[in-house]
Formats: sequence, C-alpha cells, structure tokens
Amino acid sequence: MNQQAITATPPAAGALANLSRRHFLGASGALVLGACLPVASANPKAKASVPFQPNLFLSLGPDGTVRVTAHRSEMGQGVRTALAQIIADELEADWSRVAVDQAPGDAKYGDQNTDGSQSILRNYDRLREAGASARLMLRQAAAARWQVPVEEVRAVNHQVTHAASGNSADYGELAGDAAALPIPAQPALKAIGEHRYIGKAVVHVDAADIVRGKGVFGADVHLPNMATAVVVRCPWLGGGVKRILNEPKEAPGLVAIETLEPAPSAGPVFAPLGGVAVVAEDTFSAMRVARDLQIEWTDSPNRGFASDELRSALRSALEKPGAKVPGAEKGDVEAAFQGGGKQLSAIYETPFLAHAPLEAPVAVADVSVAEKRCAVRAPLQDPQAARGLIAQSLGYPLESVSVTPTLLGGAFGRKSKPDFALEAVELSRRLGRPVRVQWLREDDIRHDYFHAASAQFHRAVIDERGLPQAWLQRTAFPSITTVFAAQASAPAGWELEMGFSNLPYETPNRRMESAGIRAGVRIGWLRSVCNIFHAFSANVFADEMAAAAGRDAIEHRLAMLPKAGKLAVPGMQPPPGHELDVERFRHVIERVRALSEWARPRPEGTGLGFAVHHSFRSYVATVLEASVVDGRPRVSNAYMVLDCGTFVNADTCRAQMEGAVVFGLSLALHGDIAMRDGAVLQSNFHDYPMLRMAEAPATKVELVPAQDRLPAGVGEPGVPPVAPALVNALFAATGKRHRSLPIRV
Amino acid sequence: MAIKLNVNGKQVAAEAAPDTPLLWVLRDRLALTGTKYGCGGGYCGACTVHVDGAPARSCQLPVSAVAASPIATIEGLEERHPELLKVWVEKNVAQCGYCQSGQLMSAAALLDAKPEPTDADIDAAMAGNICRCGTYVRIRAAIHQAAAQRNGE
Ligand code: FES
Ligand code: FES
Repeated sequence: MNQQAITATPPAAGALANLSRRHFLGASGALVLGACLPVASANPKAKASVPFQPNLFLSLGPDGTVRVTAHRSEMGQGVRTALAQIIADELEADWSRVAVDQAPGDAKYGDQNTDGSQSILRNYDRLREAGASARLMLRQAAAARWQVPVEEVRAVNHQVTHAASGNSADYGELAGDAAALPIPAQPALKAIGEHRYIGKAVVHVDAADIVRGKGVFGADVHLPNMATAVVVRCPWLGGGVKRILNEPKEAPGLVAIETLEPAPSAGPVFAPLGGVAVVAEDTFSAMRVARDLQIEWTDSPNRGFASDELRSALRSALEKPGAKVPGAEKGDVEAAFQGGGKQLSAIYETPFLAHAPLEAPVAVADVSVAEKRCAVRAPLQDPQAARGLIAQSLGYPLESVSVTPTLLGGAFGRKSKPDFALEAVELSRRLGRPVRVQWLREDDIRHDYFHAASAQFHRAVIDERGLPQAWLQRTAFPSITTVFAAQASAPAGWELEMGFSNLPYETPNRRMESAGIRAGVRIGWLRSVCNIFHAFSANVFADEMAAAAGRDAIEHRLAMLPKAGKLAVPGMQPPPGHELDVERFRHVIERVRALSEWARPRPEGTGLGFAVHHSFRSYVATVLEASVVDGRPRVSNAYMVLDCGTFVNADTCRAQMEGAVVFGLSLALHGDIAMRDGAVLQSNFHDYPMLRMAEAPATKVELVPAQDRLPAGVGEPGVPPVAPALVNALFAATGKRHRSLPIRV
Repeated sequence: MAIKLNVNGKQVAAEAAPDTPLLWVLRDRLALTGTKYGCGGGYCGACTVHVDGAPARSCQLPVSAVAASPIATIEGLEERHPELLKVWVEKNVAQCGYCQSGQLMSAAALLDAKPEPTDADIDAAMAGNICRCGTYVRIRAAIHQAAAQRNGE
C-alpha cells in the first residue's frame, strides 16, 4: 500500500481569504483570480517581477511559488489537489511550493461542470502539457543564460541544473527569463515510471485549513453590509404566494419581506422555486421570522402528487411491455419463456432520495444595478452555467457577472443546479446590497432535485448452472429530462446506459424495455444517478439466479461474463480506450474475491454479499460482510476493488471508495423520501437519517494498478455496488431476500 | 443587547437577542465561521463546540444560557490539541471538510475525558456527528492514533 503522504503548505487560505472585495466587485478588469491573466511580458522593465504564466493553469513568481488555478469545484473529491498534482508532476515542482487558487466560471477554461466523475478524464492530458511546457521553458531559459545546449540542462524538483558547468538555479530565478520565451507546441511528457506525484498519495491542499476551521465554504463568505435571507417555499412544486397571513410590520433585525415568483412550469432550467424571502441583518433574525410566517399558496397540478401512487404506477408500468432499448434485442425471449425450464422473476423498488450535502445550499450575491455588475460566491459545481443563467436573469452581459466557487460542503449533484444562487442574485438586485441566501436543512430536504424513485422487473430462464438462457429486463422511473422539458417522460438513452442497457452478461435471448412517468417533484442526478437502481436490481437478480442454481455467487458471475474482449453495448459507444472491457470486469471480481478472503468461513449468522458494477468508465467490485443484530442489519466489513485506469491521487481514490461505502449503506439502510399532497414528508436528519460512526464498517480498498490506461471516474462508481452487495450478504446470512430499498428487516 | 462571552479564552461582547443560538452568535457576530450549520436541530453535530469543557451543539444553546461558561471553538483547538490536528491532516481525514470542525471538537472532548478510547467509546462519543462524505473509518483511525501519540509522550 502506498502510504507516502506528502503534506502541502496550506495555500488555499491565502487563495480564498485574499479574495478581496475589489476582486469580488470586479472594480478592475482583473476579475480572474490567481494565474489566469495572459503573459504580460511586453514590458521588459517589469521582467524581474513579471510572473511566468505560460498558460491559464499555472504561474511561477520570482519567489518560486507555483500557483495552480483549479478550474473545477472542490466538494471533497480532492480535485483541487489532483489538478495541482498533475501540473506539479510534469513541471517537476517542489510540492511544498505549490499553491492553489480557485478559478471563476469562465469559458476560457473549457468545461468546468464538476459532474459525472470527469474532471481528471477531461483534463489529464492538457494539464500535463501545461506543466511540461513550463518546465521546458525553464530549461530553455537556463540554457540561454548559461550558454549551453538545452539538452544538457535538467529541471528536477524546482531546480534547473547543468552538470558539466556546475550551474544551477531555482525555478523562481528563471521565471522572468522564461516568461519571455515562446510557448512550445508539443512538450515531451514524462514516461509512466517517472512520475513524482501522479499516482501517489498526497494530502489534500485544503486539509490544513479545514482542521483549523479556516476553509471557506459558501456561508463563510462575509461582505460588508451583507444581509441574510431565508426563503419560505411552497410545499408543492409550482405553487405561488397568494398572500401572507401574518406579515410582521417589524421584527428584530428584519430588513424586508420579498415575494419571489415561482418558476414557470416550462421555464428556464434551474429557475428558483419562488416563495417568500425573509431578509434580515443576520441569519437567526431571518430564521425566526421565517419560522412563524403563515402563507397561503396558490394551487398547482403537483399538489396532488403522492409518492405511494407513483410507486404503484411504476409497478403497473412494469406489467406491460415498455419501449424497447434499440439494438438490445437478441433471440426470442417470449419463445424461451414458453419453452419452460427453470424460471425466475422479481420486481425491485427504490425510493426517492435527497442529496443532503452537509452544507445546505447557500449563496452570496452582490449586484450593483447602477454599475450593471454582479458578483457571486457560492458552492457551485458548475460556475460557468451559473454565470450564464445569472447574466440572463439580470439581462447583463456575461462579462459583468463573476461567479467564483467557494469550497463545497458536499454536493453529490445538488450543487450543479444554481437555483439558490439565482435567489441570492434576485434579492441583492432588489435590495441594493449584498445578500446571502441560506437554505435551512428543512428547505434542502423538502425542495431538492430528488433522485428518482424507480422499479425494475427481471425475468429469466436459467440453466442448471444458473446462467440465463433468456432474460427480460424492464425499468421504470421518472426521468431527469422531466426537469428540462415540460412534456418529457421517457427515460433518456444516457440514463439507460447507466447500468441497464450496458450490462456485460451473456444470454442468447434478451430484451430490454423502459417506461417513463412524470413525478410532481423536480428530479435530479445524485452521485452515480441511475446506476444506483440499475446496479441494485441487476446485481440482486444475478445473485438470485446463482442461489436458485445453488452456485457460488462469484463463480456464477464470472461464468455470466463473455470469455474476453471489448463489448459493444446498445447505445452510445464510448471512445477508444473506454470500451466495456470484459478482462477488467473479471479482474476486479477476482481481486475482491481475494481481498475479502471470500472462501474463509465467517461466523454463524454472518453472510458475504458480492456485487460488481461498471460506471463512469471505471470498474468496482464489492464484498460486504453482514449480519442481523437486534433486528437491525449490521455491516462489519467492506471490501472494495477499483479499476479507474490511471489514477492521480491514490489516497483520494481510497477515500472515495470508503465514502462510497457509507453513501451506499446510507441509501440502502435509511434513505427514503416520500411525498403526499405534493409535499415532502421528511425534513431533517431525524426522519431522513444517514449512516453514523457506529454503523460504518471497517473498509479495505484495493486499487488496480493501471497507469497505462486512460483515467476514468472515481467520485461516483463506488456507490452502485454497495446496496446490492448488502442485500446479497443479508440473504447469505439469513436466507431472506430484500427487493426494495431501504431495507427493512 | 450586548452579551459578554468567554470564547477561546478571550472575553468578547456580541450584540444578540438572548434567545439567539450560540451558533449564530459565533458565526454572524464574532466571525468565528469554523463552527458550521448543518441541521439546526441537534442532529448532525456540525456546530459542536465545547462549553465548560464538554461537547455541545451550539445550534441548540441560547446564547444567554452560556454567558457564564467558557466556550471553545475549532479556532482555538490547535492550542490544546495540536497532535489531533496533525494526525487529522496526515491521515487526510477530511473530504469536503464541512463536518470536520464538529468531528474534531467531539474527538477532542473524547480524548480529554478518555485518553485511551476504545472503539465503543468512539462510537458513543462520535454518534452525534454526521459525515455525509463518509470519513468515519479515518476519523476512528485518527482518534486512535492521536491517543497513542499523546500517551506515548
Ligand atoms: S447544526 Fe447543530 S446539530 Fe446540526
Ligand atoms: S467531510 Fe464532508 S461531510 Fe464530512
């Protein structure tokens, strides 16, 4: 196990704390933070003090400090550290002299949507090149200064040296010279064995701030004269304010009570829900007034929505043929079902879930109507999209709007949707002063973009080895596309490609069908999205096939895989290097069998459960060890094997697998959001509980060394196999099969 | 009204209504933003501070009730528990970090009360602190290691 920890100096403190009001207001043209300005080498007199900024992502000052600009949002997945590792590695920088600044949302960085486990995959090559070209320029600068061939000059760990002459220089000393050089087109990159930071365990750059309470999250941004708003929203989606029954004339700290219009039903994506905003001088004054406010709301078609009814509708949808997944049909399932043999069928159900990041949505906006400017700081996963929507809502040009992410106190997909930032912008515009909108936990849980409730139907004919000779799969759920289009209801192809239409298992007769339905709430993506329910149903059904044939679950699963090769699955084909690879599937299964000592007998009443899933281009196999103690499931051990191709931070990958176990067990054991009369019944962590310390299993993680493969996702793919592994473990322990989540023993 | 408090060994005064929870006085009036709001209901522990040396959920404490008591927040923890912070960083415990002030305050109070905590002690002492990112296994390991280091000296 690579436990070499490299501790960074705490750069983020400066980076975030130095975000002065001048920056924030954008009074100068320098809205960009840190190292984002183009090379300013035109003025030769300024040479010594000119930082060397060969690209958008790094700068080197005369003191030798390397400032990396992170253009992706940090939500615990370690991206600020990983991006800096990639650059520092190719730059051959001394890690203790690397600092990280956060980029605002700006198209010049390319895609900034921190979503879909893609930050490394999309940026690995370009950031390596950014670091490598800077390193080459430093060598060239030294060679010119020393009048020696550049090939003889080495740049290692922040020092440039020339062995024959004995010359050496710190990177900082060469920054000015390097800044005057042209940027090389295709710098040579390091070979796999030469990495200094990539693939190693590196402590997160924000760790030192966080343990001192100095990390700056959304609510920690404080501006002079800032007011705080708490918004009371209609319990059902689409309702507006008819009247406020008890509007206070005055209350301690009260600044204003503002009515916000609800988003039109076919309105702009991620528009705020509307409601009554209580704006006060401080948070508690706003909370106190908001708590007592009585509001009469207007009706909306969603007022009758009940999750129980949706659940029945999903079950009925599974009883009839749905829309066939194009290209998925093989053989003739109906004929096979008529033909007899051992048959198995089951329905699986999963409920709505709320993201519930520990930091509820919060945003600070400062709008100057006179100057037509707006600056926002908030925990946002996609600052660029937020910037566009904010500019649109204000009718300002894009350049007049700045959006800079703070640290995100967890997000899991929730903070891709900037509705809360738009609320702050609207209130700041109206009140003419900076406004922070603080969602309360109750607001967060009741007014989320919910992970969709779902149901799946599986039916198979199995042979004596438990292998499917015919397999019909149906899935039904309200699609995420329903938040984008008023008429949409059918699941989208990309939703089905999340663990439904892209299963690797062999069968001569196969059909896959899907059905959609509209729900009376906003649907959104939550960490691993449709993979959650698709991996659940497929892995439990596979376990049921194995059990029906009396076979070992892992042997059986290996036998279900094709012999070898890259699988063409129905739907969109991934780019070369990311095809679904049977060998990699097989390998993580075999590794988790070894890691968990699968064959070792466990105590009476304890069972092992296995699951494996491919998502976000990565492969994860899981074994959980579970029993039932005092009528409650207890998971004692978790084993996770991850193949994510090239990984940047080994320790982050482990941490993400550890966290995925907890996230997966939370949804398997506790997660359940229900609606009645359009309103969410849960409100806080007492009725929407999540895993706590005593329930967290000891967790072993193995990373498949695959530094010769393309990088793939890490933040999400650990989640899908956890819940089915638990169901399978409880079956092994007790003989009882749970087919719906959360598990009730 | 102005309320006098003793926070991290310093006498401070804050303008706040007496029923204002300590959490919001710390955050909004004293700019001690290391203490976090997670639920406002006593369920998550993100707001954990020490009052009279014992862990307390600051979202549940009216400021008037703690005016006479010494209060400690995450901002003052390094002075008293430098090894705990060091271990926490070395083990790279935090993911998003939002719960970590509260986790550290609960862990510090545990170590003050029980210098060699067992797993069961940790389960009990940390039961009030939710980590949505799921850093529990590292928190447990860090507490054990901090205890070992302290006791080894
Ligand atoms: S904010 Fe106080 S316990 Fe959650
Ligand atoms: S580290 Fe994110 S909630 Fe604990």
